[in-house]
Amino acid sequence: MNQPPAERTSDTHELGQRARAIATVFWSAFLAAALATMLCFAFIDPEAWRNGEPPGWWGTRLHVYAVGFFFFWLIGLVSAALCWQLSRGAR
Amino acid sequence: MNEVRIPLHGSGQSLYVAHEKVYPREIDGRFTRLRTLSAWVLLGVFYVFPWINWHGRQAVLFDLPARKFFIFDLVFWPQDFIFLTWLLIIAALSLFFVTAVAGRLWCGYACPQTVWTETFLWMERVTEGDRSARLKLDRGPWNGEKLLRKSAKQVLWVSFALWTGFTFVGFFSPIRTLATEAMALSLGPWETFWVFFYGFATYGNAGYLREQVCKYMCPYARFQSAMFDKDTLVITYDQERGEPRGARKRGTDARAQGLGDCIDCTWCVQVCPTGIDIRQGLQIECIACAACIDACDEIMDKMGSPRGLIRYTTQHALDHKPTRILRPRVLIYGGLLSALIVGFVVTVAMRSPVSLDVIRDRNSLYRLTDDGQVDNVYTLRILNKTEKERRFELEVDGEGEFTLIPDKRVYVVKSGEVYSTPMRVRRPAYEPLGPQTIEFELKSLDDESIEAETEARFLAPTR
Repeated sequence: MNQPPAERTSDTHELGQRARAIATVFWSAFLAAALATMLCFAFIDPEAWRNGEPPGWWGTRLHVYAVGFFFFWLIGLVSAALCWQLSRGAR
Repeated sequence: MNEVRIPLHGSGQSLYVAHEKVYPREIDGRFTRLRTLSAWVLLGVFYVFPWINWHGRQAVLFDLPARKFFIFDLVFWPQDFIFLTWLLIIAALSLFFVTAVAGRLWCGYACPQTVWTETFLWMERVTEGDRSARLKLDRGPWNGEKLLRKSAKQVLWVSFALWTGFTFVGFFSPIRTLATEAMALSLGPWETFWVFFYGFATYGNAGYLREQVCKYMCPYARFQSAMFDKDTLVITYDQERGEPRGARKRGTDARAQGLGDCIDCTWCVQVCPTGIDIRQGLQIECIACAACIDACDEIMDKMGSPRGLIRYTTQHALDHKPTRILRPRVLIYGGLLSALIVGFVVTVAMRSPVSLDVIRDRNSLYRLTDDGQVDNVYTLRILNKTEKERRFELEVDGEGEFTLIPDKRVYVVKSGEVYSTPMRVRRPAYEPLGPQTIEFELKSLDDESIEAETEARFLAPTR
């Protein structure tokens, strides 16, 4: 029964080095952003900034949380991308 | 001929090999049943909990808009954030502890990635058939049947993923309201976004990425080996007993043919959801799901050999050395874990039901009055975490003759309300000189055991 693993197909998704690096950058930034959002909004209540004034462009708390999350993701992306770029060394 | 090994990956020249789709064969057995049971329980908890009501509200609700977490009888406020952190530390330590003792139990039985992947695999099996049928279908041309089966799978996957996304949002926003809104197609933009976001993540991770999440994305998979030692329970192929592997006729004496117990049927490889060959030893890709144990046990039963050619065991046991369960690593993790859990339970039980904040107005230093007094302006914030309306009285204490303005006021705070009001504190301007720290004490008039204290700075002229 020396059959080779003929039951496998290799036509499916293939991630190149660049694609994988990009995925890693997005993913690690996502994890960091999730953590940062949790920490940040545990201590900061967006409603407290308003001081009783009517909601501005940022709307309710949920909007602020979501915008905050994407902001942190963006910061994380910059950091992770830079880290990847620098760790590749100069060519 | 006995040396033929199954090549698992490409040439090994590149750090990045092309991904090959894994078609896990379905198997039945002790550990598979345990895994199915675990999946039912965990998915049950996930999909059912948001629908349970408790004292007129959703039993488990992480109410982000209102900044309150409800877990049955417990209510957590932003001020209780320390408990959440504490809980996360407990979770992490439990993971370390379990990993040190029993290896990657988490990965194999409890990780959402595993559980959802198995659920998606089950749906794939229902629509596309068993392993060989799936392989044939994928290789075959696009015809009516393939289209039908593939679309049926997609319909199941997409609906299940959307339902998952919806349930996920239901943990953060009351699910019954959410359901009504979803029926009326009037979900808010952010709710809609997160339903689709989480739904898409489920679909992609459980439907397509699968074991690649464990191999490339999971941080735990990368550092779990640090918790391993030679006494950790791992799933291993017993090389000594199995080799040299090779085919033989049933009932023949393998030893006489110079063969070990492994008949090289490759079932252990075929059932593996991460597509590895356990016979090559412990590998980082192994999520310890024990499917290979069930597969091998079944074959061993058929061959009339004892079970356990692939089994849960330790490196020390394989080396014919005694396995120690109680070792420094386990004792330290265990000790820390118990201390943290006990501390958590005690602290949560003794949590103060009211919280008091007195925040100095940053826009002004102090104000001198015509009759030689000095005023400081504060914002008083009282949070009533009890389930009843409470009446409170505030007192101020410090070196000097302090009065509150308004004085002797009764603050009525509803259950769960954050009551906020400006107030002033006054004392003679030059007795004593300069700034100081003063103490505030809040007492409930209904229940003397409910009280809270806090401190604040009081500014005054220094000369």
